[in-house]
Amino acid sequence: MNPRRSYAAGTGLFILLGFAALAYLATQTTSLVNFESGPSYDVTAEFTNIGGLKDRAPVKLAGVRVGTVKSIVLDQKSMDAKVTMAIADRYDQIPEDSYAKIMTSGLLGDQFISLSPGGSPTNLKNGSVLDNTQSALQLEDLIGKFLTGSGGGKSSSSNKP
Amino acid sequence: MSASATANRDPAADPLVQVRGLTAVLSGKTVFDALDLDIARGSVTAIMGPSGTGKTTLLKHITGQMHGAAGQVLVDGQDVVRLPREGLYRLRKRIGYLFQNSALLTDYDVFENVAFPLRAHARLPEDLIRNVVLTKLQAVGLRGAARLLPSELSGGMARRVALARAIVFDPMLILYDEPFVGLDPIALNQVLKLIRTLNQELGITSVLVAHEFEAVREAADHVHLIAGGKRVASGAPEDLVRADSPWTAQFFGGALEGPVPFQYPAPPLARDFGFVGATA
Amino acid sequence: MKQFVARVFDPLLDGLADVGRTGWFFIGLLLALPRGLTYPRELLRQIWFVGAKSLIIIMISGLFVGMVLSLQLYYTLSIFGGTSALGTVIALSLYRELGPVVTALLFAGRAGTAITAEVGLMRATDQLSAMEMMAVDPLAFVASPRFLAGLIAMPLLVAVFNMMGLFGGHLVGVTWLGIDNGTFWSNMTGNVSVWKDVISGEWKALAFGALVSLIAVYQGYSAPPTSEGVANATTRTVVSSSIAILALDFVLTAFLM
Repeated sequence: MNPRRSYAAGTGLFILLGFAALAYLATQTTSLVNFESGPSYDVTAEFTNIGGLKDRAPVKLAGVRVGTVKSIVLDQKSMDAKVTMAIADRYDQIPEDSYAKIMTSGLLGDQFISLSPGGSPTNLKNGSVLDNTQSALQLEDLIGKFLTGSGGGKSSSSNKP
Repeated sequence: MSASATANRDPAADPLVQVRGLTAVLSGKTVFDALDLDIARGSVTAIMGPSGTGKTTLLKHITGQMHGAAGQVLVDGQDVVRLPREGLYRLRKRIGYLFQNSALLTDYDVFENVAFPLRAHARLPEDLIRNVVLTKLQAVGLRGAARLLPSELSGGMARRVALARAIVFDPMLILYDEPFVGLDPIALNQVLKLIRTLNQELGITSVLVAHEFEAVREAADHVHLIAGGKRVASGAPEDLVRADSPWTAQFFGGALEGPVPFQYPAPPLARDFGFVGATA
Repeated sequence: MKQFVARVFDPLLDGLADVGRTGWFFIGLLLALPRGLTYPRELLRQIWFVGAKSLIIIMISGLFVGMVLSLQLYYTLSIFGGTSALGTVIALSLYRELGPVVTALLFAGRAGTAITAEVGLMRATDQLSAMEMMAVDPLAFVASPRFLAGLIAMPLLVAVFNMMGLFGGHLVGVTWLGIDNGTFWSNMTGNVSVWKDVISGEWKALAFGALVSLIAVYQGYSAPPTSEGVANATTRTVVSSSIAILALDFVLTAFLM
């Protein structure tokens, strides 16, 4: 084989490998994975506290990704966080009265929205609002509850042990 | 203009290279002191002189690789010092230069080395490049070595490849820097014959920097003897040997002492040995 | 005393002068770059020499760096009970810092020295002068392709290094230390950003590639034409490149990331 052509081919291979590695890193190891590219519909939910939830966090049902968090804004009337989720179109059989809960993967892991299906015959569609929500679990609250007794009826602001 | 130049082949009237009042200082040492020199068209001119008189430096001034502090260097009527880069490069394409160590590009084989100037300057079809390169290699007798690498060549072969490369654009002038150094008698004769053939058959003006007087006598029409930054003698090789100048006597006679001293300039011996009291 | 001052300041001044001369050389190189692009075949050859031939050392080093990183970070994270973040921390350390810096240091040692020695020998054997005599500008034919090749090869090498590092980290973290595979990846994909982490690391790679190949070509170009001169220039390439990489890394990290 012509030596010149052999290293030209080697160079081409090297460049290809480099770009393949870069493409892999960019698309498979970053939050781009969470980016739902197919058609989707929007559903909103209000939480009293979203904790560390971020844009593009996954939305899961039974542990399966069904969508992503699209935007998080503060509703100034209710003083709640209004979270818009983009649910993939192919998941169109989710009951309307499903329950949205902010959960953490692991102790220090990332937060995501977990949906628990309700029993309503009507399904979620574009513009639906999820009424049943549970905010993020706050580590501080948890500790506070634990310290003041498991009943936790009163969570006094002045913490006197 | 060019018609008259070719019609009147009087070498003295229209020299190809004119050096006028060239003065050059290299790291504090005066190499040339108002040097005047002509190279006639179509001639083989040898530049000779003691080692260290700047013969190679002179070639570098002719090609514009170095610029003197004062004076002019005219090549084919163009002032090398004042030429802009493009003009200088255009001029250099018409000059072949044979380096002392051949300076072949070590990454490329013989064929690619000779093809290098063609590929760099002209978009030529591959067949044509092949024909030109093989013709030039045939001229130096190395067509069979086309696919060898420079590291596989002997010194004489490398020099012939470098020569093939230098003539690939059919230059008007070839500068040979020490073309005979380190060659065995056979290789030396091959190079010698090539220099003469190129001059006689293609009319290429040749400038030769060399020490080997026997070879120069064979090849050159004219010799310039340089010493101490000046031209001290000129003429046909045979005349120079007979001339009774102290320079030529020492250079061609090989006498130890003469205008060129054996000792490099130094303070008195006694001082270097530490006998300061005696003189200081 | 005077001697002492001279002994301290002379090398400093020499170093400063070297930086200045490299700067001037860079300007000349940039001016020659468009003409250098007229030699695509030479560029391709240089990408082969500086890039493809550095691939093996980059891959092996990346693998081991990733494996060590996994062990060390697992230990540190386990103190805080946060080992589920292992994938994230490995990826961020690699993309933002270790990938570009370690690759650049290896690149200086593997490709930079080769460039300096090659160009220095070309100078010493009159090959550069021969090119000038053939009306070919060595800045365009020799310096430009090598510089551009470094610029092109480095980001690609960094990507390969990072990928191997991630693989090594995954190997140790998941296969050996028993972290859940899903946690490893999902935690990473939740926290690593394309622009802020992957691409900003690639910008660093680009800057380091330019820096190392500039220093390497300049040192070769200006090496005295002796064996000692070329040897010294090769050493200087490694020393200057390493210092310059780490200093520039600090500047880039502080101001751009």
